[in-house]
Amino acid sequence: MVVTVIALELLFVLLIVCLLCRAPYGVLAHQPLGGGRRSDWREAQERAEQMLRDVLAEDDYRQLCRRGYLEVPSRARPRRVYRIPRHQGQVKVYEGGVPIMALCVQPVDPVPDGDVVMMHKLMIEGNEEEYLRIANRFEPTLYGFIAIRPRGRV
Amino acid sequence: MSKLRVLSARGDTVLEWDERKLQTGDPEALAAVREAERIFEEQRGRGATAFKVESDKPAQKIDTFDRTAEQIIMVPRVAGG
Repeated sequence: MVVTVIALELLFVLLIVCLLCRAPYGVLAHQPLGGGRRSDWREAQERAEQMLRDVLAEDDYRQLCRRGYLEVPSRARPRRVYRIPRHQGQVKVYEGGVPIMALCVQPVDPVPDGDVVMMHKLMIEGNEEEYLRIANRFEPTLYGFIAIRPRGRV
Repeated sequence: MSKLRVLSARGDTVLEWDERKLQTGDPEALAAVREAERIFEEQRGRGATAFKVESDKPAQKIDTFDRTAEQIIMVPRVAGG
């Protein structure tokens, strides 16, 4: 009986460890697999980081490094700010400082994290309506953001 | 120097040309800008979106190649995640 309980507890702990090790939002799916390509991927990440340093304004790059996100104000909606995460994930949308939704837009082919930050920034600044049209939306709840709205609403 | 950057799995690839040399008909600058224009069209054909990026200005989406742009960045095709 005791052995069974211990075995079940061990299984439970293993299950928790497996769940914690899972990458959020399919990050692993964005990395090319295979040992030989890991160094290529690392080089790509470094190149993308250098591109961010070159293209972003100094304050923006500093904000990205210190806070872990880059804020891009909406051009169409004056009180709205898009918060782009440093690493791939949902873009949080705030209006008057209040979170109103999260958006998920991903490149069809895998690109490094720095390129994804740039992709979000360019699309929000230069093509906001199209960006909102493409994005899958998630609304804030007490338990985090959940997908409840169909596409097409702004 | 003007730049065309294409975002891809390898990080960004960059092609540069000198706008001033272009105006004087420099063959190297002409070849570089022709190559940039070719890549621009090729990427657009694959569903990429192009943005003109200039210092202290918001990015601007462009549908045709602008050889006078300070920098053009091409974003690959995206989808809702």
